[in-house]
Amino acid sequence: MFAWSRRDALKRCGTGMGMLALGTMLADQSQGSEIDTNPLAPKKPHFEAKAKHVVHLFMNGGPSQVDTFDPKPALDKYHGKPLPRTNLRTERKTGAAMRSPFSFKKHGQSGIEVSEIFEATAKHVDDMCIIRSMYADVPNHEPSLMLMNCGEGRLPRPSFGAWATYGLGSENRNLPGFVVMCPGGFPIVATQNWRSSFLPGVYQGTYLDTKQTDVEKLVANIRNTQMSPARQEKQLNLLKAFNEEHLNNRKADAQLEARIRTFELAFRMQSEATDAFDITRETKTTRELYGDNLHGRQLLYTRRLIERGVRFIQVWSGAGQPWDNHDNLEKQHRKLAGDWDRAISAFLFDLKRTGLFDSTLVLWGGEFGRTPVAELPALNGRDHNHYGFSCWLAGGGVRGGTIVGATDEFGFQAVENPVHVHDLHATMLHLLGFDHEKLTYRYAGRDFRLTDVHGHVVKEMLA
Amino acid sequence: MPKMAFAILIGLVTIPLAWADKAGEDFFERSVRPILAEQCMGCHGAKIQKSSLRLDSKAAILKGGISGPVVIPGKPSESLLVQAIHQKGELKMPQGRKLSSKDINSLEKWVAMGLPWPDENSLAQPSNQQSHWAFSPIRKPKAPSQYGMHPIDAFIQKTLQEKQIKPSPQADKRTLIRRITMDLHGIPPSPEAVKDFSNSKSPKAYEELIDQLLGSTAYGERWARHWLDIARYADNKGYVFFEEKNYPWAWTYRNYVIDALNQDLPYNQFIIEQIAADQSSTRNPKSLAALGFLTVGSHFMGNTHDLIDDRIDVISRGIMGLTVSCARCHDHKYDPIPTEDYYSLYGIFRSSFEPLVPPLWETEPANEEYEFFSAELARKENSLSDFVTQKHRELVKQARERCADYLFAAYEAQKQPPADDFMLLADKGDLNPAMIARWRAFLATTKKKKSPAWQLWHQLSDLEMEQFAQASPALIQDYRENRLVSEAFKTIPKDMKEVAQRYGKLILNAERVWLESPSKEPLADKHLEELRLVLYGPDSPADAPKQMDWGFLSLLPDRASQAEYQKLIKEVETKLNEGPPRSMVLWDSERTYDPRVFLRGHPNRQGIQVPRQFLEILSPRRKPFTQGSGRLELAKAIASRENPLTARVIVNQVWMRHFGRGLVSTPGDFGVRGDPPSHPELLDWLASEFMDNGWSLKKLHKLILTSATYQQESMDRDDCLQKDPENRFLWRQNRRRLEFEPLHDSMLFVSGRLETTVGGPSFRLFTGVPRKALYGFIDRLDFPSLLATFDVPNPNASNPERSSTIVAPQALYLMNGPFVRDAATRLLNAPNIRTASTAKDKLENIMQAMFSRSPSPGEMERALEFLGQGNQQEAWLDLVHGLFLTNEFAFVD
Repeated sequence: MFAWSRRDALKRCGTGMGMLALGTMLADQSQGSEIDTNPLAPKKPHFEAKAKHVVHLFMNGGPSQVDTFDPKPALDKYHGKPLPRTNLRTERKTGAAMRSPFSFKKHGQSGIEVSEIFEATAKHVDDMCIIRSMYADVPNHEPSLMLMNCGEGRLPRPSFGAWATYGLGSENRNLPGFVVMCPGGFPIVATQNWRSSFLPGVYQGTYLDTKQTDVEKLVANIRNTQMSPARQEKQLNLLKAFNEEHLNNRKADAQLEARIRTFELAFRMQSEATDAFDITRETKTTRELYGDNLHGRQLLYTRRLIERGVRFIQVWSGAGQPWDNHDNLEKQHRKLAGDWDRAISAFLFDLKRTGLFDSTLVLWGGEFGRTPVAELPALNGRDHNHYGFSCWLAGGGVRGGTIVGATDEFGFQAVENPVHVHDLHATMLHLLGFDHEKLTYRYAGRDFRLTDVHGHVVKEMLA
Repeated sequence: MPKMAFAILIGLVTIPLAWADKAGEDFFERSVRPILAEQCMGCHGAKIQKSSLRLDSKAAILKGGISGPVVIPGKPSESLLVQAIHQKGELKMPQGRKLSSKDINSLEKWVAMGLPWPDENSLAQPSNQQSHWAFSPIRKPKAPSQYGMHPIDAFIQKTLQEKQIKPSPQADKRTLIRRITMDLHGIPPSPEAVKDFSNSKSPKAYEELIDQLLGSTAYGERWARHWLDIARYADNKGYVFFEEKNYPWAWTYRNYVIDALNQDLPYNQFIIEQIAADQSSTRNPKSLAALGFLTVGSHFMGNTHDLIDDRIDVISRGIMGLTVSCARCHDHKYDPIPTEDYYSLYGIFRSSFEPLVPPLWETEPANEEYEFFSAELARKENSLSDFVTQKHRELVKQARERCADYLFAAYEAQKQPPADDFMLLADKGDLNPAMIARWRAFLATTKKKKSPAWQLWHQLSDLEMEQFAQASPALIQDYRENRLVSEAFKTIPKDMKEVAQRYGKLILNAERVWLESPSKEPLADKHLEELRLVLYGPDSPADAPKQMDWGFLSLLPDRASQAEYQKLIKEVETKLNEGPPRSMVLWDSERTYDPRVFLRGHPNRQGIQVPRQFLEILSPRRKPFTQGSGRLELAKAIASRENPLTARVIVNQVWMRHFGRGLVSTPGDFGVRGDPPSHPELLDWLASEFMDNGWSLKKLHKLILTSATYQQESMDRDDCLQKDPENRFLWRQNRRRLEFEPLHDSMLFVSGRLETTVGGPSFRLFTGVPRKALYGFIDRLDFPSLLATFDVPNPNASNPERSSTIVAPQALYLMNGPFVRDAATRLLNAPNIRTASTAKDKLENIMQAMFSRSPSPGEMERALEFLGQGNQQEAWLDLVHGLFLTNEFAFVD
């Protein structure tokens, strides 16, 4: 009864030619027999995936590695004095070494040292893989955000979330596949951070202003304010009857059928989405575990969305660049980490409790790190640093309790096993079941991929 | 099992047949070509062939170099290339470094596989690709002779007959008028228009309908939207640091497009004006706004190279279906576009600039208010210009006086990771980071060009610090290229700092001699002149270009000057925005830029110089451009009859918008990797006919619309589905889902609310303004997810084609958003509906307004049942709202 050609199917499913690149996966999909007209229908990756969902905790502005996950005792020794090497050139002028105002303590069986400002998070250190040798290309926010999110610093390219959703679809047809939460407005470069670019628009991140707590303000058009659900159902039944007569007069057309189905989907989506963001349905114990603050709420939404099969969730620290502490770093970092710490710890705990931990890949990090030397003239903050910084992964397929790579003795530059942002992407795609060189999309005469012509899977991160 | 899934399985079965080749080629593309391109071709490519070896084609590799063949296919261990990369024997490649073990394995595997290489000629020899259909000249084929048949139908029928498929019958009149009105105006016909057309017995009725629709301004509005997709139109710049984010006058370009289409401006002239209206004879002052085609793109945070890349992309992919941007970093992988040609185009746009104060769109108002405004503006411009002049003078002065410091800083910077791409902040009085980068680039050029005076510098600066004392005397002893430099190094310097100081002294001495010379002519002593040119030559690192735009900001790295500059430039911008609209033009720069190839796209790694000229593949007898930037010459070359692409691409575009799919189904890629045309002869015939008809788009529409092929029914037919499931051969029309704009406009139109004013500034979408969606403000920075949901393309790059997805958020918006509800309310208030005496009459009038037809008995029954007993007002509202959601409303048969 379907009369779509293969090309039409590919095109109208919103995947265009690019889906051909995923050709192998179609062959495996025989048990479903009917190719779904929904471009977000779940798809199989290249090989068996360790992780099915990604949660990216984005510390925008750039958290300092030497104050969080990369302790450097040498800075105590040189505090207030110039380093024995020339300071690498960063965005602004920097001066003498600046020791971390925070103390570090060993945690877990692995005995990995973590700063006091992430003490609660550190309880999970045996499940975390800390990459201490991250590096990026430039010390400016805009290109670094784009590199971290889209794998390219300047040119318009799709975001990681869009690629992941394009490759895997979503397991919940009633919710968007890629959700972005940022309280109070946009981070720097705004929606470019979660764009779909040349991938079909359906893979773009759906932005939620999590400062809002009311679900109607959170998700556009999610509720009809004019009609009761019963009245709407009646209306949609009438619509269906008209559409069916229209379809019968035209024999068959899969496009027409697909559109009939979207109204049924949309109707269900209303209650599903409302439900996903209704955290009053959680027990009091759970809510207390996460803490009654913004990030607690964001991460509770996150867990509820993962439970419902949403593929990729990005959670930002806040509008603008909260972690960009050029001055007053001690006070600011303590506050920012304080806002996150309990929520992250609760979130990881909750994922384990609900059995979602092993299928969820959690990434924590910023667009770059900060200099181990103080910024002039205030001398109580740090400049941007793309030469070396830390981030961590936890969950599906990640080797817990490990440290990958190292920076130099001051934490300025990645020197041991350096991991470029492209390598991080390649590794994360690997955990999602993709060969990063084969997840491609044909556009403007070229097969594009998230890692462009770069990237290596970092084996040390894999369980 | 549904047929569609079956079709997909068939598609998959065909893959393995070509698999053996394909796998090898894929492996080559993925794992080998990048290594060859990045690691080997610098020394063994088209430009340089060390040891007479080229590694850029299979033939060249097999031929080998001075050591004979370097590869024996299938025998890695016997291949010199494999031995060399293992670096175990005498020959070690690449020089001075070693490939990663992964790369070594890949090359070895590739040799073992027998050197699979996708297209023998694709890297090196463009000439052989001229045989590609789209690059060969357009010749007008004769239409197949069929008595009295429309030429389009003759071509289409010929193929159908070959496939033994019969065309579909003509659609009924109601369907036809809806289809054609939607195609040309983006709204449905009024019930009266449908009645008139249906009742007309005149054999000319259809043709008259076409003429009437093409004569209305609504035609230009509908088709302007298609063109704006290609022109990546938006009302702002995207993310920018400091400058004004909006384009306050982008709409003047939109107006230009609407007017040009409505006046049926010949397409070749339309193209020429959009690329060089400032230089072609202008019809009226407003046609300068045509240049918005180049200037409404994204601003890429002020990165000149990306901005130019975007312009190259919009003219090449947008107008010619050619993906020239692929050649930014290396020769195009598939199409015959060498990277030299990319930089030939780059030079044209680099020689053009956007003035800070663009010309007025309309004629200057002759009133006191404007005079006052004008004077104010001039004052602000002067403050800015004074500031820039003064800062620029200081900058150049400092760069000259402190050339020794800059030389040393440039040397030191080599030890740092490259910082050329950063934005750096510095303090007043510091050496300027942007200038250090210029000195670094200058030194790199002298090394490449082997400039005599600098040979010694490079020999010394290549030394490690520890070897300096030991190794420098011999180098100095042997050096004799520039007499003055030799003399300055009679004693041995202790380190590079001293070397820099001596060079600095030499340069300043040359400057002094020249300044003291009365004539200020170039110095006769060529050794002295070489040193003088360091500060006064055309490539002098000290002489940074003076600009009056945001680009100048990078030359002011200290915060205080930046703040002052920003303040001054903002004042001009703010003032401008208070005044009358202006055209977003591009002017030729006073000093043209002579482009060099940027190796691998990197502006600081410059290769050979190339002329500003057109693409060789499209103009084999090309000559370098001579008039200013060359933009007008470029425009004429693009819009030339000789260009094999321009006419083909536009007739394909027009065809696509009338059939839902082009004769070439990749409208943005006519290159080797694009889809070949389904009807190559028809495409060429249309393109020739189009040019013969004076490049008239309206005549082209009429030609297509009068064909029986266009007028067919869109019903599927089982007999044809087997033979041609994709309807490639057009045995029926294609049913099409409305894009966002016609859906939006149709709802406003049916509810009697659509404003029909043509042109003008943009309004904010979704705020209840009843204008066509065409006039909605397009925000490039925060592109509304609702638009993305409805497949309105993101204006970050040229979009020759939209995708057509069907997803739930579209439904959600229609079901719950206020827009449709409002349309329903208003439609119920239309006089003939509000006053209808019976429910049946009311429904009849509603259905006529929305679908130009009466309800069927079944529909009538269901509607009456739905209305039932409850609150009639609410029920009618729900009903009409529901009808707006139907497939019938959202599709064109």
